[in-house]
Amino acid sequence: MDAGADAAPARMPREVPIQYATALLVVVLVVAPLLPVLYQSLLDSALYDDEARLTLGNFVRLAQTDGFARILWNTFLLAALTTLVAQFFGTIAAVLFGRTDLPGARVLGELFLWPLYLSALVLSFGWYTIYGPAGYVTLFWQSLFGDAPWNLYSLGGMAMIAGVSQAPLAYLYCLSSAGMTDPTLEEAARVSGAGTFRTLWRVTLPLMLPAIAYSAVLNFTIGLELLSVPLIFGEPAGINVLTTFLFNVSATSPRPDHGLAATAAALMLVVICFLVWLQGRLLGNTRRFVTLGGKATRPRPFRLGGLRWPLFAAALLYVVLTGVAPISMLILRAFTSFLSPMIPLAEVLTFDNFTALMNEPIYARAVTNSFVVSVVGAAIATALIGMVALIVHRSEFRFRTPLHYVALFPRAVPGVVAGIGFFYAFALLPGLGGIRNSIWILVIAFTMRFIPAGLGAVAPMLLQVSPDLDRSARVQGADWWTATRRIMMPLMRPALVACYTILFISFFKEYATAIFLFAPGSEVIGTALLQTWVQGEVGVVAGLAAIQVAVIAVCITTARAIFGVKLHG
Amino acid sequence: MADLLIEGLVKRFGEVRAVDDVSIHVADGEFVTLLGPSGCGKSTTLAAVAGLDRPDEGRILVGGKTYFDSTRGIYLPPEARGCGLVFQSYALWPHMTVFDNVVFPLTLRKVNAAERRRRVAEVLALVEMERFADRYPHMLSGGQQQRVALARTLVYQPSILLLDEPLSNLDAKLRDRARTWLAELRTRLGLTTIYVTHDQIEALSLSDRIVVMNSGRIAQLGAPQEIYEKPSDPFVADFIGTTNFLPAKVADRGAGSVSLELGDGQRIEVAVERAPDQGARVTLAFRPEQMRVASDGETTNGEGSIVEARVVTRSYIGGRWQVGLDLGGGPLRLETETPPAGDTVRFWLPRDGGIVFRENNRVAA
Repeated sequence: MDAGADAAPARMPREVPIQYATALLVVVLVVAPLLPVLYQSLLDSALYDDEARLTLGNFVRLAQTDGFARILWNTFLLAALTTLVAQFFGTIAAVLFGRTDLPGARVLGELFLWPLYLSALVLSFGWYTIYGPAGYVTLFWQSLFGDAPWNLYSLGGMAMIAGVSQAPLAYLYCLSSAGMTDPTLEEAARVSGAGTFRTLWRVTLPLMLPAIAYSAVLNFTIGLELLSVPLIFGEPAGINVLTTFLFNVSATSPRPDHGLAATAAALMLVVICFLVWLQGRLLGNTRRFVTLGGKATRPRPFRLGGLRWPLFAAALLYVVLTGVAPISMLILRAFTSFLSPMIPLAEVLTFDNFTALMNEPIYARAVTNSFVVSVVGAAIATALIGMVALIVHRSEFRFRTPLHYVALFPRAVPGVVAGIGFFYAFALLPGLGGIRNSIWILVIAFTMRFIPAGLGAVAPMLLQVSPDLDRSARVQGADWWTATRRIMMPLMRPALVACYTILFISFFKEYATAIFLFAPGSEVIGTALLQTWVQGEVGVVAGLAAIQVAVIAVCITTARAIFGVKLHG
Repeated sequence: MADLLIEGLVKRFGEVRAVDDVSIHVADGEFVTLLGPSGCGKSTTLAAVAGLDRPDEGRILVGGKTYFDSTRGIYLPPEARGCGLVFQSYALWPHMTVFDNVVFPLTLRKVNAAERRRRVAEVLALVEMERFADRYPHMLSGGQQQRVALARTLVYQPSILLLDEPLSNLDAKLRDRARTWLAELRTRLGLTTIYVTHDQIEALSLSDRIVVMNSGRIAQLGAPQEIYEKPSDPFVADFIGTTNFLPAKVADRGAGSVSLELGDGQRIEVAVERAPDQGARVTLAFRPEQMRVASDGETTNGEGSIVEARVVTRSYIGGRWQVGLDLGGGPLRLETETPPAGDTVRFWLPRDGGIVFRENNRVAA
């Protein structure tokens, strides 16, 4: 741009290289795993094979794969059932904990959220320890009534576990929508003579519908992407879904079929893209439904009357049976050699599992690696996400809107697809072999996966900082980078702490992407959990899971106590 | 210090022309107010001068330096302009003390430490805030924050001073005090100043000239007294001060005056420079303070007209009564010290001072 004769001599402003470099980095991160997947789906052999030729044969082969229709049907069924379970419990919990005078609603609400902080993998192990064939409750039931009526190794059983682990999402969305509803709408219904339950049914629930619809699509999407539950319970029972199919035909298998894996991954990508687009549409609609934003008055809670204590008991039972008991028993299992209602606890208490864990270099390394990936990786990712948020929301960068789209795109990339994609990407670039076998490939892949989650934590807080604050610095003579550094970054600190916390937890529990990428030496807890599970070392599995749960619990408590971080809402 | 030239400024937001061909020349040291309702384009114009919002067309020059020129593709970023802008929200940085806030522009300009301290102390003394240098913004009242914001702007001696509704966040009493203080300060500093407000009292009392804006265009540009006494159209008349409007028809044309017939047949004599045509539909505008309740037996004469109207409401507003009248279907407001007793009231309107707008809004007075 010509600045003219009477202006300062034209010089490239400092922000230009910074903004373009950040944008380029994000584009490379997001595109890197996607292009190789799409490319591989069109090749007749591995994409690093020099003789690979373009073909559409993979699509034909995939369609003709034995039982592929069955796999698609199972995938759909599992996601649909999971969504049903999650929405059912989530919505009831939102009404009960958020809008009534249920005793202990706050504590119950907190406990209800716990599955959100843990991975579905750990929750699955927890359920296995008490509801599995040799589980604590199962054995107990058998000794009293004969055969247990449940079976985790079925679509219904899997949907139950997945549903419970995803119910917090439905709960949070419904809760925030209930919090934003104009309380006078409910009061009007009650003044005109409607009782508690009629008001709930006719006014409160319909007002939650947009939130229910949005979280349902979200949960359905997550249900499709789910790997852990079907891998642990579906595989042994011969119930395959798309993710386990991908797992079996891709790099993790002894004889990988790259063409088939990439084609299935591409198929999955297309479906998830559509669902994420649908989420966007629905979210637009929910905004239209909200009549009042950020009103401080809290709606008056509904009186449950005589049902207060029975409902409390039911809620407590749910929280204990689905979350507290499985996790507690899993942790207890970590400190015992064997767990059964038939054997007194004192006889089996031991630290052997942890000793074994620490003596085996693979497991010790997995724990260390998880820490390094989470502590360092989350810091790097937070720095990148902070820059992206500043450029998207607080700059005149020409491509800030496209950058925003690209940065949010990983929402549409399932963990397994990202894992396969990065695997191909690094296979294609021989110069990066050093990264391929180190934990840095995990840092890179995790960063890409969680850019949207990080942005979700940073953006709302960033938008609360008045634009006048950086604009006034600009008018006074600071260029974009100085205003950003001196004004915006200090003011963003709470947002960055929240972002770091969320990323730390996400990195620490991530496994779906990692199982396609780790190499000997770069194991993390998630991959070690799956490996030891396959080897049947239940004690070590419980030990690793206990470490993961403990670290996440400490992280959440610290973030809340010291920084007052809000992790949701 | 410098003069400001705005020529043919246009800013579009989609289809809407938020600023529509605005041209203003502000002389060196002049205090000019952009006045108008919200959405009239006054803040957009200010943002264009400061460089916060890129206009679509036109030119902006300050002291001969081109800030913006659409035909030559020149657009200086805000940091290259050297304007001083006080935001409506003050925009004090909450993580910095008053001293750090004020010293920031000097640090940017690489002024040495001793000189920085001297100038900050000087400008804080000017706004009477020297005792608060170590406080954080949230420990200050609204009025104090406003002074710090002004100090932070004055400390680097900007070429022009831009004030965006600086008093609107203060409560009524404080606003009066701040306005008086601002008026004193401006005479002392003599800075070229653009002041944006929707408050006519601020505009009238502070400005050398006022630019009244309406839907992106300049409705009238002139000295405060001129704007108040000779508004160029009903919008300006209505926006500046309370104005009564009466629809009427030209019944008779005299020398330098017209006789207007109201809807109910009553007649009013009004002085005009150029009389509209016989039978033309016009709007008569006059200020409530120009009318008074007529004494018994007073009749229309060369000085003014007597008109009778129906009393609709009476409200006591402290020391005086505000009387709502209905005159041939049109509402009127009248202020008086004693409330009218009956259902009707006779009031007196002077021959001079009323303004006759033709139906197409062109000025006729």
